[in-house]
Amino acid sequence: MTLHIVTISDMKLSSASEDVIVTYSLGSCLGVTAHDPKAGVGGMVHCLLPHAGAAREKARANPFMFVNTGVAMMVRRLMDRGAEKRRLVFKAAGGANMRGDNLFNTGERNFEALGRLLERNSVTLAASDVGGVVPRTMFLHLDTGRVVVRSLGEEKDL
Amino acid sequence: MIRRQEILETVSRVVAIPSCAGKAAALLGDPAAEMSELARIIEHDPGLTANLLKIVNASFFGGGKPMRTAGEAISRLGTLEVLQFILSTGVAPSFVHRIDGYDLAPSMHLQHSVTVAMAARELGKALGLDAPDHTFTAGLLSGVGKILLGVYVQVNAKAILDLAMEEGLSFDQAEDAVLGINHAEVGGILLESWGLPPEITGPVRHHLRPDKAPEIDTVLDLVHIGNALAKMIGVGLGVDGLNYVPSVAVIQRLGLTAEIVDRVCANVVEELRSVRHLFVQCAEDACPL
Repeated sequence: MTLHIVTISDMKLSSASEDVIVTYSLGSCLGVTAHDPKAGVGGMVHCLLPHAGAAREKARANPFMFVNTGVAMMVRRLMDRGAEKRRLVFKAAGGANMRGDNLFNTGERNFEALGRLLERNSVTLAASDVGGVVPRTMFLHLDTGRVVVRSLGEEKDL
Repeated sequence: MIRRQEILETVSRVVAIPSCAGKAAALLGDPAAEMSELARIIEHDPGLTANLLKIVNASFFGGGKPMRTAGEAISRLGTLEVLQFILSTGVAPSFVHRIDGYDLAPSMHLQHSVTVAMAARELGKALGLDAPDHTFTAGLLSGVGKILLGVYVQVNAKAILDLAMEEGLSFDQAEDAVLGINHAEVGGILLESWGLPPEITGPVRHHLRPDKAPEIDTVLDLVHIGNALAKMIGVGLGVDGLNYVPSVAVIQRLGLTAEIVDRVCANVVEELRSVRHLFVQCAEDACPL
């Protein structure tokens, strides 16, 4: 088994069934997984911000920093590896906010950006664990597409 | 408030906090080492910065204005021999591998501290403020109280978190309720006891509740928001997560918008890549923070 670690503004994918992809310490960032069970390929992206408009030069250098460009780029790479768009199962975790924060709302804006992107592509999010004030760690198991979220020492399947 | 007294007594006994002294000492022993690289290591390490400022501000080197940054301290001291003396004598023998109470893995607290410092500095730049250099130092040291509580006092952060979740309190409010003190206040008191100047101890002490500070201070405002941004970015989050309340007054005073915040976060994440090797170095056995 190889553990692929996704850092902030990063994306990893794999088609090896024994592999696991993980991202640690999701705060307001959004972790998104996409897995094609038939092609046996899946990926995870860790996006810092909702829209590339916040810093266009950075989006060109690293599309994975932003939800709208990062998720789209991940899907493109998965399709290059044999995935079919209609078979992809999407799950999301993270998107927390500071307690009582009504200005930054970064977590909420990140999740909204994902919703708009998926809606435009007529895709439904299969599961999510977002919001609140808790940090999260997210795992994608390539053998089954199982997604596990760990938060405050407790794990649950998405 | 018995717990508060116990914590304050512990503060008075703590000589120094763990740091990347081993790495710095190794550099000092290498004739080919660059002074700038040493300064860079010190500037990104809360323990070394605190120790350095503590010693350089002590009466032994007395006279002149108090030093507020690692760079100032290094140029004041001047010679490698003196610096080596500081590093070899100023560091506590009780190194730690993790901060158990706060559920922070090795090097995580360091990463978080550096991110707060970078975010505070970057925010000052984005707002066009002529923020003083010690904004970085104050941000870097803002979480020092957590090390003390987690390592020397061994707080049960789970009990604090449970209270916060049940009562809808921020983590520092819950610390107050359970311990009679919060980690920002502990950090401020510790650094005051080491003789660090009020320009640094003030922002550390009040960084979670700037509205309670005796006066408005730009450095405090920047560190307060820098701390919030570091937590949002997610570097080195512990059990307390994002459970802190940003000050509306500070947000208004700085004229913050979501666009500014996004830009600063993007810049900080990019900047973090350039110092990643420092985190790797500091996670090594010689430097187990």
